[in-house]
Amino acid sequence: MPGTPYPKKPMHRIAYTKLSKEQIGARLDPIAKQGPTSVSPLATDFAGQSLNILTDGGPALRYEFAGSTRLSLTENGVNAIHAGYGALESDRICLLSHMIPGSQRGYTVVIDRRSGLATVIELWFSGYEDNREVQRQIYYGYVDHGGPAPKARHEPTNRLEGRGYHWRQDSGTETLEYYPSAGYSHFVELSRTGGELGFCAPSDYVKLDDEFFLYTRTECEFSGAFTACVIDMNRTQQIGMRLGFDERDELHYELFRSQGEITGQIARFEKFGDYSGDPIPGPRDKDGKPIKGGRRVYRPIRTMEKLTPEQVAGIVKEHSTAFPARTTTGGAAGMSVNALPANDFLAGKTFTLRYDNGPVMDYKVDSADQLSWRKDGGSQWTAARYQAYEVAPGLLLFGHLLEGAPNHDGHIIAADFHQGLVTCFNGFLNTPYFANEAGARALFGVLEMDGIQPPMYRRHARTTEMLGRCITYSYAPGLTSMHLYSTPNTVSWIIFTPDGHGGMEWSGPGDFVKIRDGIYFMYWLEEACNGTLGTILLNLNIMHDAGIGYHCGAHGLNMSQIGAVVRHAGKFEVERYFQIRT
Amino acid sequence: MAQDDTSTRRAFLKGGALLAAPIAAAAGPAALADDPLHARLQRLQDEAAIRELHRSWLQQLNAGGRETLPGHAVRRIIADHAGAPERLEIAADGRSAVGYFDHLAEVETPLPQQCTLAQMAHAQGTGTVCRSERRVLTLDYTKTGGTWRIVKADLTAPV
Repeated sequence: MPGTPYPKKPMHRIAYTKLSKEQIGARLDPIAKQGPTSVSPLATDFAGQSLNILTDGGPALRYEFAGSTRLSLTENGVNAIHAGYGALESDRICLLSHMIPGSQRGYTVVIDRRSGLATVIELWFSGYEDNREVQRQIYYGYVDHGGPAPKARHEPTNRLEGRGYHWRQDSGTETLEYYPSAGYSHFVELSRTGGELGFCAPSDYVKLDDEFFLYTRTECEFSGAFTACVIDMNRTQQIGMRLGFDERDELHYELFRSQGEITGQIARFEKFGDYSGDPIPGPRDKDGKPIKGGRRVYRPIRTMEKLTPEQVAGIVKEHSTAFPARTTTGGAAGMSVNALPANDFLAGKTFTLRYDNGPVMDYKVDSADQLSWRKDGGSQWTAARYQAYEVAPGLLLFGHLLEGAPNHDGHIIAADFHQGLVTCFNGFLNTPYFANEAGARALFGVLEMDGIQPPMYRRHARTTEMLGRCITYSYAPGLTSMHLYSTPNTVSWIIFTPDGHGGMEWSGPGDFVKIRDGIYFMYWLEEACNGTLGTILLNLNIMHDAGIGYHCGAHGLNMSQIGAVVRHAGKFEVERYFQIRT
Repeated sequence: MAQDDTSTRRAFLKGGALLAAPIAAAAGPAALADDPLHARLQRLQDEAAIRELHRSWLQQLNAGGRETLPGHAVRRIIADHAGAPERLEIAADGRSAVGYFDHLAEVETPLPQQCTLAQMAHAQGTGTVCRSERRVLTLDYTKTGGTWRIVKADLTAPV
């Protein structure tokens, strides 16, 4: 029975095969001879034509086109080779793509017939320690007709930053693309994987003119596949190419057309007049020259501390800290400079949090930072250090570790003393992939205390009101990120450069609960990244949040305060793409 | 990866050695010492040479030559026009001098890599916080062979 094609494993959990250079060559060669596939008809007007392209600091390419699928190429005047190719056109823009048989490289060329300018993307496999990750180098140049060279060039830009699209390819593939950064992008595969989670990839953004822009992404840390497309901003259409191995190690090399819808445009944070692109400085060689194909890529799984359940048990026993005066390590440490102050609202209170289908937690609060808890009416009370922050009148965020819990749980609780409602994000360890990687579950319930009559049926509830929103969070000087809530289950975060460009971006699973109007309780999991559970109670009425991080690493289990002053950067209208349909 | 954070006194002196300003007209100091006019001319020449040396030194520092100011995470130093006038004190024997300059220093502090966001900022090559602070730049000079050199540089908070 056909259904939503949710993957067995999300992209960040797939153990992609480390393909050898020989394996890649064997798959690539026949495809290089044949050229890319395309559902849409290929452009035919190259047949019988020739093309000279000169680039700045890059190759000189002379093409002879025998038809709409065969070409010969002379690189830098040497050795003509024959290859399959394909080309698509959109108004005055042409995109042609080919590989070079007998090698693991090729070119995708974008030509503006009106200006005569050309952008050449050289692509190759086996250029990085993970051979399957497609490498790219972009060269700017022009079509040479023998006259003087034009001075203008296509150029990197931030002009696409902040834009979002829904694309439907000619193959039927549907994707949401978000460009909240000038150096990264975020994509949600709606039709291929059900759109549950979004993922991030390093990207290039090139201005061809004010109407056409070139976008690329390389799915680094995932399949390694490369996509490049030209976006017609007025017609909301794409022509593009995709090259790479999928999770089944099948090689795809295809051209495509897409019809799009603009989902939104959020704010940019560069100074007015700054339209520069390529904001993340690339690596250089020992002589200070840019490395061909070099780019800075966020590869968090490499630096993540990975612990076994036994190691976690030992570390938690010896080094568990909650709200130390100055947190020095952990996934959320350092994110509290702008936090709301802890307060003593709970001090002296005794109450019960009764979760539906969950534990019953009794509390006796001794002071502003000490409480005792008891689970399910047990006879033993356990003391714990906690902190509480009053995010709105009568609405508290507080958290504590549950000493002795087999999975080293922590409870982070949004407690509404006006409504008698509570939601708990229950963090825990000993998760399937890495024992120190946090998991989380949401518990909904009521608050019972003298003087409070909780509701019988009403509860806090999950919401899509945050879906598509972008919020900037300034935690400390120099430490500002932006959240993008790209799916009902995804939190993506973007790091800014000092001049306000969106830079590196990553994402993880998240959850969103509405607490009051304008107040949302959310978490994100830094899965395959840092292992942190980050929780925030965001109050859009005061544009501030209060939060608590839960993290376990080699230095211990840590619960620490986070908090930020926030800005609303805008919203993408994407809710219609996430409706449950039968 | 380039080691751009390593500063040593040796590197400083090496950098300083490149920044040396010869005095335009070198007259025999012993012969002219008793002549007030020549002494004044000598002083003016010394002051001009030191100012030129200071300008070159700042230029090198602001172009990224951090070894010129060891021990300080300074990205740029620019004149503080609201500060006190510069002060040059040349020793009576004309062989050493101290200069005091009010400046605005752009101080760069690395973000501690305690959280994911800071680690990402470092990964993209931008993991520092930069802020402008008023500072007094104190430079010690010595003259050897008719050429002024900087032998010590320090940045302190204004009193």
